[in-house]
Amino acid sequence: MKAAPLAVVVRAVRELGPEIREFTLAPADGGRFPTYSAGSHVVVSLPIGERVHRNAYSLLGDPAATDEWRIAVRRQSGSRGGSQWLHQHARPGLALEISWPVNLFSLVRTARHQILVAGGIGITPILGQARELARLGASFEAHYAYRGAANAAFADELQALAPSRVYLRDSERDGHLDFGALLARRPLGTHVYVCGPQSMVDAAKIAAARLGWPPGHIHSEQFLAPAGGEPFEVEMRASGRRFTVPRDLSLLEAIEAQGIDTPSLCRGGACGQCELEVLEADGTLHHHDVYLSDAERASGRKIMPCVSRLEGRCLVLNH
Amino acid sequence: MLTPRLKSQPCYPPMEWDRSGRQHLLFAAGEDAVLARRLFEWPPLGTLTVLSVQENPDAPSCWRSGLPPGAQQRVARRRDAALQQLHDLLEQADMGARLYAVGDEDSIWQALRIAERVGMGAEALRRHRIATQARPVYCVHCRHTTRGVTTNVADCEGCGRALFVRDHFSRRLGAYMGFQVDAEVPGERPEVEEIYR
Repeated sequence: MKAAPLAVVVRAVRELGPEIREFTLAPADGGRFPTYSAGSHVVVSLPIGERVHRNAYSLLGDPAATDEWRIAVRRQSGSRGGSQWLHQHARPGLALEISWPVNLFSLVRTARHQILVAGGIGITPILGQARELARLGASFEAHYAYRGAANAAFADELQALAPSRVYLRDSERDGHLDFGALLARRPLGTHVYVCGPQSMVDAAKIAAARLGWPPGHIHSEQFLAPAGGEPFEVEMRASGRRFTVPRDLSLLEAIEAQGIDTPSLCRGGACGQCELEVLEADGTLHHHDVYLSDAERASGRKIMPCVSRLEGRCLVLNH
Repeated sequence: MLTPRLKSQPCYPPMEWDRSGRQHLLFAAGEDAVLARRLFEWPPLGTLTVLSVQENPDAPSCWRSGLPPGAQQRVARRRDAALQQLHDLLEQADMGARLYAVGDEDSIWQALRIAERVGMGAEALRRHRIATQARPVYCVHCRHTTRGVTTNVADCEGCGRALFVRDHFSRRLGAYMGFQVDAEVPGERPEVEEIYR
């Protein structure tokens, strides 16, 4: 899927905490955006130096709004600079390119009750979902955990959507959410949606499984930033190319830098679009995605090049 | 029948407990002592409720003898009453529940439709066909469902049309599709045969 990107301009920047900024985007031609479904994200192209970084950000505003879209970005100090770049350079008037919205975190419309759980900046898709459920008059509740009141960026906006059904939790003061208690004795037809750090998603899945929840009722989303690492060689057997993946590029970005066409969508290890077949790996595969199953990882035959890489000498791909 | 003739036709693999569940509810319409013994021999962890349809509650039943310790037992004389009990039990159940529907195809799908209405998904539902192969048949003309059809052509109880019974099955309706047998060529009808016993 390679639709032409959308040209946008930054319309407003809002400071929401020490590390969190919200960016309002509008169509560059003054026209209208399409509507999207709650839980969708866009991939923003960031021209950093000579390269284009592409990061996925959830749309957090009203899915029916066509005049502007909103994203929120937390500055990730350990990452390769996508969020840092936005914090430094994104001012009103800046032109950017973004992908069309894609939804990997959509609501189940037939659910009888919905439990939304956000950890930190994971609030962004949850906010769109809460807005949609409030609009539909659906039965739902929202839990928002954050570290310290200064990071409760969207607490007011969330509470305004469903005043009696929003539960705020400052994990510095109250400790972590107890998913065992949260998910126990829930009526049939309940679905839970979790967006937050890996440890939070894992805790939700473990608690749900222990309580006998069928896996299809647990939904989660995480976008991961590609981790850098030591350089390694890549051989693309089908196209007969051989090149080096440098320290600060992901495998996917390195393939694209060679001018090789390869599919991708979320670029954060979540969607599975960019999966490639591994023919040989002289070294250890480091899987950072949340897409492949444990069995697929163990087989050593697949890699998600957007976030995963090789520690070793040479990786041979069937591409 | 493990290989359906049409994709829509349901399969009925041998029933096993889903041991990832925490509340197990077995709905049984019909007797199958071998199945009951196999299931009760090694029950799953958590609670187990066995709800069975028994016209004569004094007669022996495989669903009442050999129940695992701690299992709850419910008996209803009529299927409608049993389905109502099933609905009430599921309304009280929580997300760890699993439903096992055992019986003729009509009973199975009536039970599964109740489960779906309270929000259970396919992951939480298992089915096992025993007893008659008779089909519930949905008339595409008047939308009435005629139950217990054993022949390839049967009169619709709703509109009186002679319906040809197809293999096309609707999970939503829990019935096979029936349409007027001589709709294409009036008067041209196949021999009536009893094929779903």
